[in-house]
Amino acid sequence: MSGVVLDKIVKRYGAAQVVHGIDLQIEPQEFVVLVGPSGCGKSTTLRMIAGLEEISDGNLTIADRHVNNVAPKDRDVAMVFQNYALYPHLNVAENIAFGLRIRKVKKPEIAKSVSEVAEILGLTDYLDRRPADLSGGQRQRVAMGRAIVRHPEVFLFDEPLSNLDAKLRTQMRAEIKRLHKRLGVTSIYVTHDQVEAMTLADRIVVMRDGRIEQIGRPMDLFNNPVNTFVAGFIGSPPMNQLTAVVEGGDDAPFATLGETKVKLPKLPQLQGQAGRKVVVGIRPEHALITPVDGASAIPLDLDLVETLGSEALLHTHVGDTPFVIKTETHGDIDHLYDVDKVYINAEKIKVFDAETGDVFAHPTQG
Amino acid sequence: MAKMNLYSRGDKLFVIANMVLIGIFALSTLYPFIYIAAVSFSSGFAATAGKVILTPVDLTLAAYERVLSEPEFWRSYLNTFIYTIGGTLMSLIIIIPGAYALSRPQLIGRRFWNLVVAFTMWFNAGMIPFFLNMRDLGLMDSYFGLIIGFACNAFNIILLRNFFESIPASFEEAARMDGANEFQVLWKVFVPLSKPAIATVTLFCIVARWNGFFWAMVLLQDESKIPLQVYLRQIIATLSDDEEFASTLLTAPYSVETVTAAIIVCSIIPVLIIYPFVQKYFNKGILLGGVKE
Repeated sequence: MSGVVLDKIVKRYGAAQVVHGIDLQIEPQEFVVLVGPSGCGKSTTLRMIAGLEEISDGNLTIADRHVNNVAPKDRDVAMVFQNYALYPHLNVAENIAFGLRIRKVKKPEIAKSVSEVAEILGLTDYLDRRPADLSGGQRQRVAMGRAIVRHPEVFLFDEPLSNLDAKLRTQMRAEIKRLHKRLGVTSIYVTHDQVEAMTLADRIVVMRDGRIEQIGRPMDLFNNPVNTFVAGFIGSPPMNQLTAVVEGGDDAPFATLGETKVKLPKLPQLQGQAGRKVVVGIRPEHALITPVDGASAIPLDLDLVETLGSEALLHTHVGDTPFVIKTETHGDIDHLYDVDKVYINAEKIKVFDAETGDVFAHPTQG
Repeated sequence: MAKMNLYSRGDKLFVIANMVLIGIFALSTLYPFIYIAAVSFSSGFAATAGKVILTPVDLTLAAYERVLSEPEFWRSYLNTFIYTIGGTLMSLIIIIPGAYALSRPQLIGRRFWNLVVAFTMWFNAGMIPFFLNMRDLGLMDSYFGLIIGFACNAFNIILLRNFFESIPASFEEAARMDGANEFQVLWKVFVPLSKPAIATVTLFCIVARWNGFFWAMVLLQDESKIPLQVYLRQIIATLSDDEEFASTLLTAPYSVETVTAAIIVCSIIPVLIIYPFVQKYFNKGILLGGVKE
């Protein structure tokens, strides 16, 4: 089975350690996205899986085979590069066939495979063209064709869509998703774009400073981030995070945000914690502009309204902290300029330890 | 609509001055070619008397008839081709893998090896030790000696190494992922991507080999192995020392000057033919489209 197991994988460059003992088990046919800011070690981790970087410590297993010291060509993985890395002197057909020719596959078989792949990726009409004569999306498809023609155990994608414009990126995202569904090959995808991660992944691995912060299904990460970093990284716009102090009794904890008392969820971790400094996390989509029973109302002054079409972002602030509200427009934004209060339901609030950034999870979340 | 003037007076003067300087330089480079061609088609007397300036005087093909009727000329011409083609191929066989190895970050002791190669550009053992070395290796008086003895050139290696280093690493990584070994990465990816640089190095090698004179004269004793440049020297010496020929200077249809010029013209022709074919590779843009910048 073509699963991938990273067991305490470490990467050092001289004295500098950039990946700190990563443990990750990727199931066969799973689509896992490594996401994180620049320099978090996600690309280095992918390159170690590809065999393009040496593993300093730990064990890497691909399809039940220990591959730490196996050359990239013998790992049975294929990679799609950020900058395409198409051979400019070869046409599309030759680019796709390159790996097969190197492996001395017979010519009729190569022709058949190339034709099949071109069919899947809609490249049949472009087989004679050189990369320079293709659009960005077509080049990216050729790069994918080069990967899938070999029928590898694992696909590796290193930010493959980051050079495309927004429209094409959306289109290619869907194509990658469709391709994965069709081929069912284990895929590991690196991106810094959380939208790509959310839309493509079976599971997302959020990384920071060479460590895994959280692994989970997209909606698990969205709904139950383990810390302020994940809460700020997953979701667009990111979760509003306001520093406050726990007040009130155990039955009715609250925090003063700006000058307003806002009810907090009744979490066991907050019991007897009056006076404790916390970070109150509120998703922009959980900040409501219409009154709701039992919700805390925070008065606000609008700074800016950003229209996205069916939705709008209301930029405001609570105290000195910027605060964003995401709301539906229903085809009209004029009424949004009249918004002077935001309503927060206590159950939608996340509370994090201000010192460690770790969430005070609801007991049912485990 | 009035045409917009994008250039200031200073810009225009700068461009004109450049054009004039480049024009003078081009003419000064071109004139020797024209002069040699004119002399080769002139009569011996006119050439010796210094009457030829730009065009042939007393137009004649006598010098060419004299040169082309010599079997030694054709033999040396063939030898020059052997040394040029063999030497250039041998140079490329050594320079391309050498430059590739020196360009790879994973080469153990890369800085040291680069220094060792670059060192030979500034310092070398000198003529006598090199001669003794060639003699002791049994490479005197042979085609192979002249071909292998000068095959490695540090300047060309460094030129090509720098080009290889400019090729994005992702090409190599993609090829390695596709299953290519080091040799396949070099021959199937780097060499095709480096055509402009390899064409330049090839031209340098061809010109150096074609014009190679000194070491051919030193290392070769066998007359049947000498290249055209050495033959040219011999014919100048022979005709200059020939008293009988000197006495016919006023009446002979050719002179030492016209024969020399005719040989030079014959020796230039192959280079002039090759250059346009190589020149097409002297363009940028071969990497266009392969990677997203």
